[in-house]
Amino acid sequence: MSSLPGLMEGRVVLVTGAAAGVGRGVAAAFGSAGAIVGIGVRRPEAAEETAAAVAATGGTPVILRCDVTDAVQSADAIEQLVRDFGRLDAVVHNAVSGRSSEATDFENTTLDEWEDHASVTVRATWRLAVQAYPHLQKSQGAYLLMSSPAGIEGSERAPFYSAVKAAQRGFVRALAREWGPDHIRVNSVAPLAISPALENMKILEPERVKRIEGLVPLGRLGDPETDIGPPSVFLCSDEARYVTGQTLVVSGGRFTSL
Amino acid sequence: MASSASTLVIGSSSGIGFSIAQRLRTRGDSIIELPSTLDLTNAEAVGESLRSLVGSGSVDRVVLAAIDPSAFRSAPIVSLTESEWDQAAEYPMRSAFVALQQAHGVLADGGRVILILPTVAATGVAGLVPLCTAVETIRVMAKAVARRWGARSITVNTIEVELAAFMLGDSDAGDTEVTMVPVLGQPALPPASAVDDVIGLIDMLASPAAGAITGALLVADRGTVMQP
Repeated sequence: MSSLPGLMEGRVVLVTGAAAGVGRGVAAAFGSAGAIVGIGVRRPEAAEETAAAVAATGGTPVILRCDVTDAVQSADAIEQLVRDFGRLDAVVHNAVSGRSSEATDFENTTLDEWEDHASVTVRATWRLAVQAYPHLQKSQGAYLLMSSPAGIEGSERAPFYSAVKAAQRGFVRALAREWGPDHIRVNSVAPLAISPALENMKILEPERVKRIEGLVPLGRLGDPETDIGPPSVFLCSDEARYVTGQTLVVSGGRFTSL
Repeated sequence: MASSASTLVIGSSSGIGFSIAQRLRTRGDSIIELPSTLDLTNAEAVGESLRSLVGSGSVDRVVLAAIDPSAFRSAPIVSLTESEWDQAAEYPMRSAFVALQQAHGVLADGGRVILILPTVAATGVAGLVPLCTAVETIRVMAKAVARRWGARSITVNTIEVELAAFMLGDSDAGDTEVTMVPVLGQPALPPASAVDDVIGLIDMLASPAAGAITGALLVADRGTVMQP
């Protein structure tokens, strides 16, 4: 469990893609900071573990059906939080395409595959911002995007994934300037963390995981809740009131030149 | 100095792409241009057009300077419809993907790909969120393909110029409605033709001496944005 007591006490946060991995860890970290955590997921039945993790850390979990590619669902999720709790202080957009860990054959693929990535990571990034804007304006809140180091250095294996993650970085820089006068802060986190795909790899290809860990100066992959969660909470909290337009690389030192 | 190499210029119907194509043609380079009416997101049409232009040969250089002019319109994101967002942010991304993918099919081993983009994404610009989003996407897409195509000794690099230079190239603003972009800094160097600056960098990147440079970003804004 991370230790962020009180940092987000009574604040209301929506975390998308919160059923597992980094999303679940970040949601739990917001819970430990005292937040009411909207757990945005495509299938509510898949959110029970996250809800339990948020409750276990002292937060208030609210499971929300929120397929971010569906404009109505994301609007409803935001409206439900505002209706039930009277405010929205932060949105953390973490959801990614279900194909995000797949390799992309750039030279032979089609725009259909691009659309899978862009609809979740590019279009929904814009749409969530638009839908949350009046509420974040009122609370002088924060919009946080979970990007990736791949979105900075470019990935040979996953060119689409890295491109859409880069999109979020460009979005953050520009929107931070646009929303600065409203006192809404816009940042991103580029984490290197254990994901469900890496958990699988640990079982199937333990040597490969060891090789990856060997590239990290701190010697391990980040834990979603205790390593990625706290910097994410910090960026949405009042403690980061003067931080906007930034991408914080949280990678155990793996990426030092980004 | 004229080059005997063949250069495919994508985005040559307006702005800096037009000026680059014109300069290279004037000095005697062999230039290949796609029809200005071609939808760059139509992979089949782009591929077919390229094959008919290139025949059984290949191209040595690709200069890609294609961003839909709708992306230059300044507007707060909350005022955009989904269709406006798509046209300004996502259409340029799709175009870049299709252009790079299809160009790869006609590019010679050892070829050079040079993307020309506006500097906006480095700093972010209020009112131009879609454009900044698109530019950062394309920048990193270029890095990804630089990694993928390195085995064929193909280099992929990006040159960035100020937005006004990107939009206008050599032409005078004239009647063109130029987006009023907030000035983020003053150039350290005296003013000069951005097209001259870019042509010089294209020649440098296309030279054998630059064979080890790939995935790089060169900012030719006369010192306006000096990145940390």
